[in-house]
Amino acid sequence: MTKHTLVSSISSVTLAAALLAPVAAFAQTNTAAATETVTTTAAPTSVTAPAPGTSGLTTKQKAAATKAEQEIDRRVAALNDLNTRVQAMQKVTDAFKQSLTTNIQNQISALTALRAKIAADTDATTLKADIKSITDSYRIYALVLPQARIAAAADRSKTVADMLTTLGTKLQQRISTAQTSGADVAALTTALADLSTKVADISAQAQAAVSVSASLTPDGGDKTKMAANAAALKTAHADIQTAQKDIAAAQKDVKTILAGLKKATPATPATATTTTQ
Amino acid sequence: MATAIKWIIGLIIIAALAWLAWWSGWFGGAPAAPEPVAPTQTTTTPAPTPVQNTNGMSAPTDTSDAALDQDAAAVDTQAQGLQTDSQSVDASMSDKPIVQ
Repeated sequence: MTKHTLVSSISSVTLAAALLAPVAAFAQTNTAAATETVTTTAAPTSVTAPAPGTSGLTTKQKAAATKAEQEIDRRVAALNDLNTRVQAMQKVTDAFKQSLTTNIQNQISALTALRAKIAADTDATTLKADIKSITDSYRIYALVLPQARIAAAADRSKTVADMLTTLGTKLQQRISTAQTSGADVAALTTALADLSTKVADISAQAQAAVSVSASLTPDGGDKTKMAANAAALKTAHADIQTAQKDIAAAQKDVKTILAGLKKATPATPATATTTTQ
Repeated sequence: MATAIKWIIGLIIIAALAWLAWWSGWFGGAPAAPEPVAPTQTTTTPAPTPVQNTNGMSAPTDTSDAALDQDAAAVDTQAQGLQTDSQSVDASMSDKPIVQ
């Protein structure tokens, strides 16, 4: 029986290059977001630390301001969580990670500044404009967050594919050894072949997820583009879920092979000892 | 008599010079004594630096049952992490702005 060779997975360079694509889009959108959220109406007149709105605002307007601050807090928390996830990515360069981190931090800084501004607003006109800027920047946030999350999931998928490739090589060696010893490895070889196929598809799905989502840009209020972006993100997410199914199947193959190898390994016979008097 | 002594002395001198020349190697003389070789410092081969294993995987060349089990467990851990990543993607796509 000829030895089965594993199909080589897509190189990390290819995925890293594809993952670099959203950096440009991410940088551009986040730069725009930073500009968009900070550039509002007249500069605040107060130079002291931000304080809640004063009697210039009605109760309803104060409630709107509180709601806006909560919305900003929610986004900042999501961006901080995303930043933590970005740091754990393994298949991209440090420069790429730093670029993403910088963009995320810029977005957080802009939102934090906007929050302070809203908290210090004393007139309805300024408050209204500031709150509107949150809604306007949301179109960017609604794309950037899932886009980066998909990149992180694709990165993890590729990591798993590489781990399975390494494991598959070891399993191949063990199967060859068992075969040489006379064990029947037909089922193990079949499982190994399936493992190889799944590993190749995991990398392909990860690459596809990045490719379909990396080039997306904010819709800027264009409903047609908004729908197209949503569909593309959905497709990318589906690719990640397909990769997950492939991983589950690959894990099953690994378990089958491990169980078969343990059965194929002959038990060490007990040695009989005799004593002479 | 004196002449004979002179001849003898001359021959002795010539013989001595010839021997000196031979010893110096002018006529392909005595082989040079081997130069002392500086003793080579013997060192033991350092143990190979253990390969840094990532994501909990065992050594790349370790195909023992324990190593394979470790690798399978490491893959399981990453698969669970991917599940979390996928849920985060879903959550980010379901995010809706708070109506002001």
